[in-house]
Amino acid sequence: MSVVPVIPVYSAEIEQQVTPWTVRELMHNLAQVKHSKATFVERKHFSMLKEPLVFAGTLLYTAPGKLEKYTLVPKPESILLDQDKLTMQSGDNGKQRVVSLREYPAIWAFVESIRSTLAGDLETLNRFYKVSMEGRGGKWRLILLPLDPKMRDMVVEIRIAGSNEQINTIEVMEAGGDHSMMEITKDDS
Amino acid sequence: MKRFKVRWPIAVWLIFIGFCVLVVSRIQVGADLNAFLPGTPTSAQRLLTEQLRDGIVSRLILIGIEGGPTEKLAATSKQLAYRLRKEPAFMMVNNGEKGTLDRDQAFLVDNRYLLSSAVTPERFTAGGLRDSLENILQMLGSPAGTMIKQVIPRDPSGELLHIVEGFAGQAQPALQEGVWTSDDGSRALLILQTSAAGYDIDAQQHAVELARKHFAETIQGAEFAGLKMRLSGPGVFSVEARDNIEGVAFKFSIITAILVSGLLLLVYRSWRVLAISLLPVASGALAGIAAVSMGYGVVFGVTLGFGITLIGEAVDYSIYFFTHLSPGRPPSKALKNIWPTIRLGVLTTICGFSPMFLADFPGLAQLGLFSVIGLVVAVLVTRWVLPNLVSEKFSPVAPGLLADRVIAVIGYAPRLRPLVYVAVVAAVISIAMHREPVWSDQLSSLFPLSVEKQQLDQSLRDDLGAPDVRFLIVVGGKYREEVLERSEAVGVQLDKLMSRKILTGYDTPSRYLPSVKTQQIRQAALPEERQLRSNLKQALTGMPFRDDLFEPFFREIAAVRVQSPITLDDLKGTNLGLQTESLLAHYDDGWRAMLPLRGVTDKQAIQHAFGSQDAMVTLLDLKNESDSLYDSYVHEAVWLSIIGALSIIVLLFISLRSARRVADVLLPLGAAVIITLAVLLAGGQELLLFHLVGMLLSVAVGSNYSLFFDRESNAATHDQDGKLTMVSLLVANISTTIAFGMLGFSGVPVLTAIGQTVAMGAFLSLLFSAVLMGGKIVNET
Repeated sequence: MSVVPVIPVYSAEIEQQVTPWTVRELMHNLAQVKHSKATFVERKHFSMLKEPLVFAGTLLYTAPGKLEKYTLVPKPESILLDQDKLTMQSGDNGKQRVVSLREYPAIWAFVESIRSTLAGDLETLNRFYKVSMEGRGGKWRLILLPLDPKMRDMVVEIRIAGSNEQINTIEVMEAGGDHSMMEITKDDS
Repeated sequence: MKRFKVRWPIAVWLIFIGFCVLVVSRIQVGADLNAFLPGTPTSAQRLLTEQLRDGIVSRLILIGIEGGPTEKLAATSKQLAYRLRKEPAFMMVNNGEKGTLDRDQAFLVDNRYLLSSAVTPERFTAGGLRDSLENILQMLGSPAGTMIKQVIPRDPSGELLHIVEGFAGQAQPALQEGVWTSDDGSRALLILQTSAAGYDIDAQQHAVELARKHFAETIQGAEFAGLKMRLSGPGVFSVEARDNIEGVAFKFSIITAILVSGLLLLVYRSWRVLAISLLPVASGALAGIAAVSMGYGVVFGVTLGFGITLIGEAVDYSIYFFTHLSPGRPPSKALKNIWPTIRLGVLTTICGFSPMFLADFPGLAQLGLFSVIGLVVAVLVTRWVLPNLVSEKFSPVAPGLLADRVIAVIGYAPRLRPLVYVAVVAAVISIAMHREPVWSDQLSSLFPLSVEKQQLDQSLRDDLGAPDVRFLIVVGGKYREEVLERSEAVGVQLDKLMSRKILTGYDTPSRYLPSVKTQQIRQAALPEERQLRSNLKQALTGMPFRDDLFEPFFREIAAVRVQSPITLDDLKGTNLGLQTESLLAHYDDGWRAMLPLRGVTDKQAIQHAFGSQDAMVTLLDLKNESDSLYDSYVHEAVWLSIIGALSIIVLLFISLRSARRVADVLLPLGAAVIITLAVLLAGGQELLLFHLVGMLLSVAVGSNYSLFFDRESNAATHDQDGKLTMVSLLVANISTTIAFGMLGFSGVPVLTAIGQTVAMGAFLSLLFSAVLMGGKIVNET
C-alpha cells in the first residue's frame, strides 16, 4: 500500500464555469459511498513554526454524519465527529474535550467542508460556502469560499480534489499565509 | 335636635368614607411576588427573598421573535438590540452579536495573568512552560488550531485556554445569521437585564413597554409583516399578573354588579333602592382596602381581587334589610327582629377569619383583615345608615308574593334528607380514597399565571440554554474584598467537586474580579524578564517554534508585574462587568456574592460540602426553599382554619346555649364543605391555599343561612316575618352564587379557586339548611 497523492494542475485556462448540474452529479456520486476507510498524511505549515507539522493516521467515514480521525504520528490522538458533537482525545494523557459545533461556528464550517463533501450534501455546503468546481468526473476539484466574514478571517479557501467518488487531497488556505495539505489514500483492507 | 339625632349615623358614615377615600387614593399596589414571601423569614428564606426581589434572576427579561424567515428575525433582533442598548432602563442587552463580545474577549486576553487561577510560580519554570507548549502544539494541529494561533505568541503558558475552560457547562444558544436563535431558526432570542430590581413593578412595566415600543417601531414596513415578539421573565410575569388581576377584578366586579343588580331590581322594583342597597358593599370594600393599606403599607393584587368576592357576601345584609320592609313596618324597625341573628352571623365570620391575621404569609393575613373589616363595615352601614336613606313608605312587593311559594318549596325539602346523608357518606369515602396529591405542592401555583405563560417561559429558557438556577451558594461578608476572598476559597472547593463530576460548572464574581490579595499573589508568581527568557529558552529546546516568536509574551509579563490590580471600573462596559455586578451585591449589612451552580448531578455531595460549614457561606436550594416555604403556608393555613372553625363552635355555644342547636346549625355547613371538597378533588383539582380560604368563606356565608333557619325553627310564632326571612335567604343565596360563580370563570387560578369553592359551598349550605332544618318551620306554620 502506498500513498499516491493526486495533485491537480492549476491553470486559468482549465478554470471554467461549470453548470451546477456537474456539481450535482459529483455530489450524487459521493453520496453513494456509505462507508469508507483511508489513510492520511497531513502537512500543516504555520508561519510561527520553523518546520511544518506532519500528522499521519487513518480516517473513517460512516454516512451520513460520522467522521473519525485517528492520528498515530507524531502522537496518538483522535477526533470524533458525530452530528453536532466533536470529541477530541489525546492518547497519552486521556484528556477528553467535547465541543458542540454550534458553539463554534468557525470550526463547524470547517468540519462541514469535509463531512458534507463526503456525504454529497450540497445543501449544507452551500450554507457555509460559495461552491465551484473544476475538471470532470475522473479528475475534479471543488473550491469552497467561506460565506461568513468571521470564518473568512481565518480560512480563505478550501480546495478538495479527487477522482470519481474518491477524495484525494484537501488543501486549506488560511488567512495570513498558513496552509495545510492532507493527502488521502483509500484503504480497502 | 331630633332631626340631628336621626341623621348622625350618616354624618359619621360620610366622614368615614371620606377618610377611606383619602387612604385608598394613596394606595400602593405591591408586587404579587411579595405577597408570597414570609413576614418573619429564616436566613435562607431571607436570601431567597432577596434573590426573588432584586437578584440576578429577578431582573431577567427573555425575548423571542417569531413569525418569519430566519434572516428577517435576525435583522429584527439586531435592530431591536441596537435600539434597546441606548435605553438606560436596560443594564444589558444580549442577542449573541459578535460586536458585543469583543470587549469581553479583550478584557480576558489583556488581564489573563491576573484572572487565571493556574498562575503559579511552577507554571513559568522551564518544565511548566514545556508542558504547556507541548499542549499548544497539539492544539495547533487540531481543528481548533486556527482559532487559537493568534494568541500563542502572547500566551505560551496557555492562560486564556484555562480561563475559557472555566466557562464549561455554560450552554450557548444556537447562532444563525449572526444572532442567537432556537435550533431550528424559527425564533430569534435576546436576553435583557433591567437596571431596576425585579420587585419594582412600575420600573419593570416601563421596561416591558420600552421593549414593545421599540419592537413595534423596528418592524414597521411590509417586509416585517407577521413578526411577533414574546416576552417572559419574572418582571414580565409580575407586570402581567398585576394587569391581569386588576383587569379581572375590574371586569368581574362590573359583571357581578350588573347581574346582582338585575336580581335586586327584580325584587325591589326601584332604581333608588337598588343604588342604596349597594352602599354597604361599596363602603365595606373601600374600608377593607383602606385598612389593608394602612396596616401593611402596600396592597397586593390578590387582595384587591379578593375584594370583589366581598360583593357576594356583603350584599346579603342589605337584602335582609330590604326584604323585611313591609307596610306597617318602617325602615328603622325592619331589622329589629332579625338583628341578633345577623349580629351572630357577622361574629361567626369574624371568628372564622381572625386567625388569618396571625399568618406569617402576608397574602393570607391581608385577606383576613380585608374580610373582617369589610364585612363589619358593611353590616354597620346596613344597620345604621340604610334606615335613614329609605323612604318611610317603601316596601318591596315581590318578597310578599314569593313568600308562600318559598315556604312550600321548603316544605318539600326535608324529603331529600336521606339523599343528603347518602351524598355525605359518598363524599367522605371519595375523599378517603383520593390517591393523588391533595395539595398543589408548588409556590408557583399561588402566582396568578396561566399554564400557557409558564410553558412559554420554559421554551424560551430551553432555547437559550439557560435553565432555572436551582443551587446557589451565597457568600457573605462585611467588605467586598472579604467576600471575594471567601468566594475564591469556595471556588477551590467547587473545582475539586467538578473534577469528581459532581457539577459541570459554576459562576463566581471572583472569576472576573479576583480579590486584590489573589491578584498580587499571581503577580508575584511571574518571574522577572531575564529569568523568564532563560526558562522559555530551555523549554523550547527541540520544539519547532520560531526563536523570536514569543517577544510579546516577555513584554506583557513585564508589564503585568508592575500593573495595578484590576477593579470593577476596568470591567465597565463589558458583559462580564454586568455579570460581576449581578453576582456581587451590596446590602445594608454588607456584601454578598452569588455563585450559581450548573449541572449538579449529586445533590447530596454538594449539601455535604456546603451544607452547614460556615455562617458566611450558605447553600441555597431555591426549589427546596420555595417548596418548603409553600408547605409552611399550607400548614399554617390549615391550622388557622381549624382554629377559626373551633372558635366558631365556641361562639355558637355561647350564643345558642344548646348543644343540639349548635349541632343543627353546623350540620348543613359541614355537609356542604365535605361535598364541595369531594367534588373539587374528584374533578382532578389540586387544592390551592385559596380553596381553603374559599371553604372558610362559605362557612361564614352559610352560617347566616343555618342561623336564620335555627332562629325560625326555635321562634315561638311563625308569622309573615319568618316567611320574609326565608325569601331574603333565597335572594341572598342567588346573589352570592352569581358573584362567586362568575369568579370561577375568571381564569386567574387563585380567584377561580375561591369562586368555585364559595359558589358551591354557599349554594349547598342553603339547600342543606332547608333539607335538614326546614321541617320544623313549615310544620309549625
